[in-house]
Amino acid sequence: MEGLILFAVSISTLGAIYAMLCLSLNLESGNGPLWDLGIVSFFGIGAYTYTLLTADPALEQQSFLLGLGLPMWIGAIGAAAGGGIAAWLIGLPTLRLKREYFLIATLAFAEIIRQVFANENWLTNGVAGIYGLRQPFKSYFDAADYSYVLLALTLCGLAFTWYVTRRIIASPFGRACKALRENEPLAITAGIDPQKTSIRLFMISGALSGFAGMFYVWYNTLIIPGQFVADLTFFIWAALIIGGIGNQRGALVGGFIFIFLHDSLRFLQVSGEMAVAFTSLRTALIGLALILILRFRPEGIFAERPVRFDLPALKREARDA
Amino acid sequence: MDIITFGLISASVILLSSVGFALIVQVEGFLNIAHGQMLLLGAYSGLFLSNLGLHIIPASIGAAIFCGLVGALFYGLLFRPVKAKGVLVLLFTSVGAAYVIYGVVGAIAGKRMLAFDLPLVRAMKLFGQPFMTIYELAIVIVAIAVALCLHLFLAYTPAGKSIRAVADNEDLARARGIDPLRTSYLVWFVASALGGLAGVFLGIMGSLHLSMGWQQIIIILATTVLGGIGSLYGVMLAAFVIAFGIEIGLIFVPASYRSGLAFLIIVVVLLVKPQGLQALWGGGRDRTH
Repeated sequence: MEGLILFAVSISTLGAIYAMLCLSLNLESGNGPLWDLGIVSFFGIGAYTYTLLTADPALEQQSFLLGLGLPMWIGAIGAAAGGGIAAWLIGLPTLRLKREYFLIATLAFAEIIRQVFANENWLTNGVAGIYGLRQPFKSYFDAADYSYVLLALTLCGLAFTWYVTRRIIASPFGRACKALRENEPLAITAGIDPQKTSIRLFMISGALSGFAGMFYVWYNTLIIPGQFVADLTFFIWAALIIGGIGNQRGALVGGFIFIFLHDSLRFLQVSGEMAVAFTSLRTALIGLALILILRFRPEGIFAERPVRFDLPALKREARDA
Repeated sequence: MDIITFGLISASVILLSSVGFALIVQVEGFLNIAHGQMLLLGAYSGLFLSNLGLHIIPASIGAAIFCGLVGALFYGLLFRPVKAKGVLVLLFTSVGAAYVIYGVVGAIAGKRMLAFDLPLVRAMKLFGQPFMTIYELAIVIVAIAVALCLHLFLAYTPAGKSIRAVADNEDLARARGIDPLRTSYLVWFVASALGGLAGVFLGIMGSLHLSMGWQQIIIILATTVLGGIGSLYGVMLAAFVIAFGIEIGLIFVPASYRSGLAFLIIVVVLLVKPQGLQALWGGGRDRTH
């Protein structure tokens, strides 16, 4: 029983991290006009920035840059800033491209970035990765209870991401993004600059993904390039589509549902040979779920709801104010 | 000399794997991510057939036909019903299909690395230099022949003309008495069969492992973008540009950056010509989706 609870706590934590990424992806791809197949790059850059800023200096057999051992809150800011700056750099050339071309170009950058993580040993310790990373507030709690603390922390992060994305979508900026998604020429005639709006949106999304990367480091206590493959991008997209693209609640729920679908089978105890077949079948199951959702409920569990403005009431309010 | 040899071989495989993908992009208008897994399926079913004792030539033909049938089946079962729902739904249906193939092949074949059991041969000599083995030469010849046949097929046969007509304007094609459904099945069969064949070749040249589909789809995407989405001839040219670009680039950077290099090439090209290589002969201007 105890094992089951611990397992549930562990996958809930992972689910919360996925939900953060889903919210961030929903902001740019669901609500905004950017079909981003490279969200994993910002996630990875955030995670690595956090690690390099907060980890202790490299040991003899390791080699990675910095290792400043800075406090975690600086790492958090660094992770978000890293993701945002990376999004800016990638966005500069790629945002000129349209839909499918943008999709592929972002996928391309994600792949290049992963190869940099894997090959540049001086920066990231290469495929060997960096191990034994510290978790926050670990010394204040009993080691057995720590997974609950981590879950609570991750949920706080999720709540923060939820709040930020919600405010942005409701803001004039969020509406401008939505206008660009629906009809770019019309949005331009309404005075929206597609280039500026897109790059801002891309940067915000990148920063939020980078921020989520920090929690992934806490969750795993290690960081290797293999964690940031294109699979993860497809997983996040699948989660968002299952939940409902364009809907905040959909993004939130989608992350958790995806992880439960993907990882609950892991709890079954099977023999070694079977286990290999099992992991593969798990992937097939995810694919099947994605196909079925798209077939029978393409809008996802929670469909996007149009926002209605009560104009007379708004006018009255403005006059009274 | 090595650059020319390796460039030619990898260009052939890239060409074979990308034309099928480009054909589907042209007719169906979406990026079929599952195409990479067709390579995986082709490679493993080819291996299965050759382990049954079949010679490599019938085995690869069998694998190609099998993949073609699977592709046509996928179209009928998965893609056609959701076609009306838009590009994004189609794209992620294909991602789902890719995971299904990947998972099923993985469950059956296991995670071990495998290889075709072919008799070893010595590289042939050209002007006294080791050139390529008989397998590699066969791959290059088949790839070029396939590209040529595809061109002749599309340009001169009624079936090929119907494919081009449907790709261009489905309603008009229907009005002219072409059955778009039959044409689509044909396209999916041909494209997937070519993918399967490319998979077998990829397996012959190196080894078979589960992630080969994902690795190759990245190169395929790069090639397709470089050639210009929806342009078949652009893609054929792009396959050579990418292959030689990678081989030349590998002089300067470590081999582990292979697909990164392919992408670097396309990023540069896209910045100059956002429509891809097809813009060289004026294609792709009117494309709206």
